[in-house]
Amino acid sequence: MKKRGLISVAAAAALAAASLVAVAPASNAAAKTITLAFQGPLTGEEASVGQDELAGMLYAIKLFNAKNKGKYVVKVVQADDQGDPAQSAKVAPGIASNKKIIGLVGAAYSGATIAALPYYKQRNLPMISPSATRVSITDPAAGNIGFPVFHRIPPTDKVQGPALFKLATKGVSSPKVFVVDDQSAYGVGLVDYMKPSIPAGQSAGFDSVSDKTTDWSATISKIKTAAANVVIYTGYFPQAAPFFKQLRDSGYTGILAGGDGVLSPTFVTLAPASVLEGVRLTAGTVPLAEIDAKLEADFVKKMGKASGVYAAESIDATNVFLAGIAKGVSTRAAMLKFVKSYSGKSLTGTTIKFDAYGDVAGGALNGFVVKGGVIKFDGPVK
Amino acid sequence: MIGNFLDQFWSLTFGGLSLGFIYILIALGYTMVYGVLRMINFANSEIFMVGTFATIIIIRDLFKFTQVSEYATGFRLWLILGTALIFAMLVSGILSMLVEMVAYRRLRRMNSGVLAPLISAIGVSMVLSESVRILTDSRPVASPRAMEKKFLGQFFDAGIRIDNTIIVISALVLFAILITFVNKTRMGKAIRAVSMNPNAARLMGINIDGVISATFLVGGLMTGAAGFFYTLKYENTSAFIGFELGIAAFTAAILGGIGNIKGAFYGGLALGLLETYASFFLGTQWKAVTVFIVLVLVLYTKPNGLFGEALTQTRA
Repeated sequence: MKKRGLISVAAAAALAAASLVAVAPASNAAAKTITLAFQGPLTGEEASVGQDELAGMLYAIKLFNAKNKGKYVVKVVQADDQGDPAQSAKVAPGIASNKKIIGLVGAAYSGATIAALPYYKQRNLPMISPSATRVSITDPAAGNIGFPVFHRIPPTDKVQGPALFKLATKGVSSPKVFVVDDQSAYGVGLVDYMKPSIPAGQSAGFDSVSDKTTDWSATISKIKTAAANVVIYTGYFPQAAPFFKQLRDSGYTGILAGGDGVLSPTFVTLAPASVLEGVRLTAGTVPLAEIDAKLEADFVKKMGKASGVYAAESIDATNVFLAGIAKGVSTRAAMLKFVKSYSGKSLTGTTIKFDAYGDVAGGALNGFVVKGGVIKFDGPVK
Repeated sequence: MIGNFLDQFWSLTFGGLSLGFIYILIALGYTMVYGVLRMINFANSEIFMVGTFATIIIIRDLFKFTQVSEYATGFRLWLILGTALIFAMLVSGILSMLVEMVAYRRLRRMNSGVLAPLISAIGVSMVLSESVRILTDSRPVASPRAMEKKFLGQFFDAGIRIDNTIIVISALVLFAILITFVNKTRMGKAIRAVSMNPNAARLMGINIDGVISATFLVGGLMTGAAGFFYTLKYENTSAFIGFELGIAAFTAAILGGIGNIKGAFYGGLALGLLETYASFFLGTQWKAVTVFIVLVLVLYTKPNGLFGEALTQTRA
């Protein structure tokens, strides 16, 4: 009787856990269960970003679990911060105090990362973000707020700002560049890091537009008045597509460019192919299909959907933790030590080794261009 | 800046006008319901959002347009646009009626006061936007382009684009039909009677529930039309589109005098133009600040809006 009670309690616990744990293959008695966590926007307006990253993480874990059958079973606790710092501060304490979790992939967004950091630092939870690119998190001059738990795979916006300008003006003989940001910390920051790299006389102006904007006619009028021939948008794809569309429809024929916030497979579905033809984008990421078409095909087969933005970075981040688990790491302290001393290859073949502040040294920015309604990889920005 | 403004004046004005007409149609949804029930139907913004999706269903799924399709021309184009407009209007109109039956009717019969329907409206609004969010996987959705956005001509320095022209003319026609309906038909008279004094109207043998249903239907039809025009102009939507547009249209309704059909018209136009000019002069980030300062100033001198409250004052 007592035993049955126990079983039903266990069953109830398993049921409760099922909502949290996405990957739970038939566990073997001998297998050691290790828990990692993911934090990012899983619902709300930004959900696609988090869902895509989570799919990358789960893909890496699926491969790992299959490879280490009988030895390890890695589970994932999902923390949904909706990309919102306020929400992040609500979910982080729970993750921090769950001792089973020994590593966190995330947070996806910089604002949410900063809000969660106090809890993770207090409980010494190692983090590796696939996409939080705000400079201040690892900047010693800004207090190095992420130290020692925070690490990230992609290069920061300090690298991206100048690279975006360079890519946007490539091949333009006398560029007059108009830059529009979305008033987000990401968008404004990117502009700030771009500004020093804009040569005198090449700036045609700036505008700062809410990410809720649907009618861009005022900004478009400014661009026309300034006679700009290069327009850079530092924001996210849901706004970039309508903006570019309205700009083209108004008769603008110059260059359109954007940062990694615009780089999403959804971007090209949001405007006619003829409108987006030639749009230039930068990102620290590389699409899985560009790394290896077979990899993408396998991803689609295993995850049931195409990989999204930062899939490669999510897999890379997860792989760092998994390498530690494979070496027998099972506590937060040991994992943090492991991550600090880690040196390995990313999916693209570059070296992942974190510096003292948590950044991967020498991260390069890649260029992309839209051709025939598809985002094509264009190689590193030089 | 002033010189630049003069250069861009007409192009800004045309953009502001077509935006204003979209505001007018959504504002009518708020104002009709307020006129009859003295209640803010917060779900109206989501009725609009559903209208944008209804339009996309017709263009993308029924007529199979993609982002790389050839543009439609001639009769086929008008058939597509007409079908999409009517479908969006019907979907939004019927949904609006259903919302009233499910969320407000019982509360009204039980004399719940004003607060319960308000919460009920916010609840319906959330249910609708979250449902669509789940159905669309939280992603923004684009309407493929069925009509080439060509310029019909030049007015001073501004190009007159076909979609803006269609919006202004069709919205004017819809508005004229609405005014005629409210002022000249039996049902319109009944709506005005209920608006003026529900109890007296009931004693005169008017079916109050029927009149209220009709009001929600008409408000929904107008809001659905706005969804179509919005999609025609901007070609993008998402589950969250309602909020911003809804607030703007609600502001327009208040500016003109809520409950007043003529007020919605001038309020919508004023807001569309004001937003566009303010964005150009002060930068887009100052748009909301400017709009609400103007709104407060207007209400300061005319607390009931430019044209005063109540549906009964709408004799055009």
